Amino acid sequence: MRSAGSEPPLDEGAWDRRARSRSPSARWIGWRLRGLVLAALVGCLALFALLRALTASPALDAPLVLGDNGVLEVGGPAAPMAVVGLIDGDGRLQRLDALLLHRSARWLPGDADRAELARQHDLYGAALVAAPVRLTDGQGQVREISVRPRGAAGLGWTFWLVATLALLLYLVTMVVVMARPDPRNALYALMALAQIGNLLFLAVLWTPAPGWPPGLMRWEQTLRTLFDLATAAALVQVTNMHPRPLPGGPVRALAAWCIALGLAALVGAGLLDQAWWWTQGLLIVGALLAMAQLGWMQRRQPHPLAHQLVRLCGAMTVTLVLLTAMVAALNPRLHGQAAFIGLAVWVIVLSAMLLMLPFLSRTQRLMREFSLLAGVSTVATALDLLFVAVFSLGNFASLALALFIALALYAGARQWLLSQFVSRQRLTTERMFERVYRMAREVQLRPADVGEQWISLLRDLFEPLDAQPVARRVRNSRVVSEGASLVVPMPLLGPAPHDAIVLGLADRGRRLFTDDDARLADRMVDLVTRVVTFDQAVERARSEERVRIAQDLHDDIGARLLTLMYKAPTPEMEDYLRHTLKDLKTLTRGLAAPSHLLSHAVAEWKSDIAQRLAAADCELGWSFAYDRDFELSVVQWSALTRVLRELVSNALAHANASRVDVEASLHDGTLSLSVSDNGSGRRPETWSHGLGLGGVRKRVKQMGGSVAWSENGQRGIVCRVTVPDFGRAGGP
Amino acid sequence: MAVKVLILEDNPVARAFLCRVVRESFSDVITLVEAGDLEGARKQVALAGGASGMHGTDPFKLVLVDLELPDGNGMDLLSELSHYPATKIVTTLYSDDDHLFPALQRGADGYLLKEDRFEVLVEELQKIVRGQPPLSPAIARRLLTHFRSGADGEPAAQGTGLSSAAFATSKPVPLADKPLDHERLTPRESEVLTYLSKGFTIKEIANLMGIKWFTVNDHIKSIYKKLNVSSRAEAAVLASKQGLV
Repeated sequence: MRSAGSEPPLDEGAWDRRARSRSPSARWIGWRLRGLVLAALVGCLALFALLRALTASPALDAPLVLGDNGVLEVGGPAAPMAVVGLIDGDGRLQRLDALLLHRSARWLPGDADRAELARQHDLYGAALVAAPVRLTDGQGQVREISVRPRGAAGLGWTFWLVATLALLLYLVTMVVVMARPDPRNALYALMALAQIGNLLFLAVLWTPAPGWPPGLMRWEQTLRTLFDLATAAALVQVTNMHPRPLPGGPVRALAAWCIALGLAALVGAGLLDQAWWWTQGLLIVGALLAMAQLGWMQRRQPHPLAHQLVRLCGAMTVTLVLLTAMVAALNPRLHGQAAFIGLAVWVIVLSAMLLMLPFLSRTQRLMREFSLLAGVSTVATALDLLFVAVFSLGNFASLALALFIALALYAGARQWLLSQFVSRQRLTTERMFERVYRMAREVQLRPADVGEQWISLLRDLFEPLDAQPVARRVRNSRVVSEGASLVVPMPLLGPAPHDAIVLGLADRGRRLFTDDDARLADRMVDLVTRVVTFDQAVERARSEERVRIAQDLHDDIGARLLTLMYKAPTPEMEDYLRHTLKDLKTLTRGLAAPSHLLSHAVAEWKSDIAQRLAAADCELGWSFAYDRDFELSVVQWSALTRVLRELVSNALAHANASRVDVEASLHDGTLSLSVSDNGSGRRPETWSHGLGLGGVRKRVKQMGGSVAWSENGQRGIVCRVTVPDFGRAGGP
Repeated sequence: MAVKVLILEDNPVARAFLCRVVRESFSDVITLVEAGDLEGARKQVALAGGASGMHGTDPFKLVLVDLELPDGNGMDLLSELSHYPATKIVTTLYSDDDHLFPALQRGADGYLLKEDRFEVLVEELQKIVRGQPPLSPAIARRLLTHFRSGADGEPAAQGTGLSSAAFATSKPVPLADKPLDHERLTPRESEVLTYLSKGFTIKEIANLMGIKWFTVNDHIKSIYKKLNVSSRAEAAVLASKQGLV
C-alpha cells in the first residue's frame, strides 16, 4: 500500500536499491512525469465538471429546515410552514418528512428507512426539475416556491473542503502509483480511490439545500457500500504482504475479495435484508482480521511499520465500532444532521489517514493527533446524539455539552500519550552531553575505536534493534526503508574503519525513524566532530608548545654546555657537564616526543645500558616484566630514564663493578625496580647524597614512590625502587 | 698517500675535538680538512673532484658532517654527496631518531654523539668505518614499519616517530618510497630487526637465534643495504682497502 519494500531493513543491497530508486533523476524521468501530469489534469477536469453540474443543478428558493419538534419546515421571507408533502404535477400529495434532510442512504440501518429516503429524495429531485415546487402543510395551505440554480455560493464551505481533500488524496495516490507501480501501491491506490468516491459523495450531499437528480441516493447506498467493502478487502490483502509477506496471504485475500464483492452485489441488487448490518459486520471483521495479521507479522519478526500500522488499524477499528454502535443505537432518522456530521468526520479522518500514510516516517506525530481526533470526534457525536435522545436537551445545549466533554477527553488523552512518549526518551540532554564528552575523550585516547564509540553512542540515542557499519559514504543522515532504518554518517575524525552506520528498527522495533531522528543524528555528528576536533586542537597546541620549549632549550643551552664541556679544566668538571648535558637531552626528548610506550621505553633503556656497560667491559643482567603496555607520562618516562642512568653510572664509576643486574616488574600498577652490582661499594647508609643519588631520590619521589639502598650479599650494593600506582597514572 | 678527511663543524672547539678523535682513531697518515659552514665544505669537495667524486684525483675518504650549521643543514650536504664514495658520518648533539634516521637514509653511514667521551667516540668511529651500522631500538622499529608498510600497502603507523614533531633546524623527512620487491626483508632479517627493536644486543640476538655474531651483523648490513643506496657499502669496502681501518 505504500512504496516501501518488504526487504529486511538492514539488507545493504536493498538499501542500495532503494537509494537508487529514490534519486529524483531516476524517479521522475520519462513517462512517469508525463503520466502524473496527465492524471492530475484528468482529476482537475473531473472535479471541474462535477462543480459545473452541481452549480447548475436546481435548488429551492427557500430553506428547508428541521423544526423544533422534528417536523420538516420551510422557511424564507414568509413565516415558517410545516411541510408534510408536495403536490406533484398530477395534483397528488406526495408525503415528505424530516428524512429528506438526511443525506446518506448508506448510513441508515433500517431497510424501510433507506427505501423511504430514496423515494423522498427522488420525488423531491423530480419536483425541483419540474419547478416551481408546491409544498403543503396537509391542512390546505400550499406554498408555491420558485427554483433557481444552486450557484457556487449555494455549495457551502463543506463542499470546497471535502472536494479539496479528495483532489489532494487523488494526487498523492497518483504520485505513489507512478513512483513505483507494484501490487502494494495498487492496493493503496484502490483504497484511496474508494475513499475519494466516499469523499465526493460526501461533498455533493453535504451542500446546504437538498435536491439531487433522482436515483442518486440508491447509487449512493450501493456505491458507498461497495467502496467501504473494497477498502476492507484491500486492507486485508495488503496486511498480508506488507511490511512483510505472511504465509497463506493470497488465500485470505481472495476470500476477503469474494465476500466483499458478493455482498456489495447483493446490496446493489437489493436482495439482502438488513444490508447495513451485514456491511458493518463485515467491515469490522475485515479490520480485525487486518489487525490480527499485522500482529502475527510483528510476532514473527518485529518491524516498526507493522507496529505502527497495528496501532493505527486499532484506532480506526475502535472508531468504526463506536460509530456503528452509535448509528445503531440512535435512530439517525430522528437526528439527521448531527449523525451526518459524525459520519462526515469519519470519512474525512479516514481519508486524511490514507493521505498521510505514504509519509508515515515524517508524520507520526500528526498521525497520532489525527487518530486521537478521529476517536474524540466520534465520541463527541455519539454523546451529542445521546444527550438529545436521552435527556431531551436542545440541539445547541447537547452539542455544547458534547463538545466540552470531547475536548476534555482530547486534552486528557493527549497529555497521557505525550507523557508516554516522553518517558521513553532514554537520554536526557544532560546525559547526552556527558556521553558526547566521554566519547570525545575515548576517541582522543584510542582513535582506532571511533567506529565502536560512535555505534555505542547511537545505540544509546535510538535503541535500535540492530546497528551495522556499511562501506558507503553518505553526507547526511537519512531515513530509509520508509522509517525502518536510519543511515548515519561517521563523524569525520581521521581514518575511520567504515563510512556510515545503518541503524535498524528504532526503540527495539517499536518505533519508526523520523526525519527528526535524522536531524538529531546529524546534530550529533556535528557535535562529536566539533568536540573531538577542539580536543585535538588543544592537544596539538600543547604539544607544539612543548616542542618549541624543548627546541629552545636543546639548541641554546645544549650547544653552550657542549662548548663548556670541551673546555672543561678537569675531568670531573667534564663529567659533570656531560651529565648535565645528558639530563638536558633527556628532558627535551621527553618533552618533544609524542608518546612513550612502556615497551618502547624498556627497549631503549636496555639498549642504552647494554651499550654503556659493554663499553666498560661490564656484564648486564636484564629483566623487565610488565603485565600490560601503556603510555608513560612525560614525568614517568624522564624520571625512570634518569634513575636508571644514574644507578648504572654509579655502579660503573664509583664501584667499579663487573656485573650489573637490572630487574624490574610491573604488576597491578605497582612498579618494583632493583639495580644491583658486584662492585666495591658498601654501607650505603654512610653515603653523602650528592647530585647523583639526590637526583634519584628526587625522581622517585616525583613518581610517588620510595627508594632504598642496601648491601648486596657479600659484595656490592642493591638499590630498590618501589612505585605504587604506577600503571594507573597514565596520560600525558 | 695520506687519507683525506673532511670535518664540517661550525663550533671551533668541537672541531678541534673531532680532529683529535679522528687522529686517534686511525693509524694512517691523515690529511684533515676543516670547514665551518656548508659553503666552505662544498668548496672543499669541489676542489677534491666534485660531488660525484669520479673525476677527482684525491677524493675524501671520510666526511664528518654536523647537522646544525650557520648557513643551513648538514642533511643537504649528505644529499648532495649521496654518490660520493666516502664514509659519511653525522656528528650531532641530536640523538633522537627523528634526526638520525633521515640522515641514515640520505647516505650517512653512522652517527657520533658529540657529547660522548673521547674514548667512546674513537671506538664508535672505528666501528662505523668497519661497516657496523648503528641500530637503536627506535630505528629498528622504524625500519620494521618501513618494510611492513611496503608489504601491506598501509601508511606507516603513528607513534613510530615518523610523523612526530621534531625540534630542530632540520625537519625529519618521512620515508620516501615504498621498498621495491627485491628490497623486501627476508624472514631472518625481519627477526633480527624485531629483536633489535626490543632492545636486544647483537650478542643476545646471536644466542637467541643460534647463529654467529657476524651473521647477525651481516643481516643488519643487508637490511641497511636494502634501505638505502648500495654505494655506501662500496664506500665501506673502499675505506678499508685504502687502509683507513
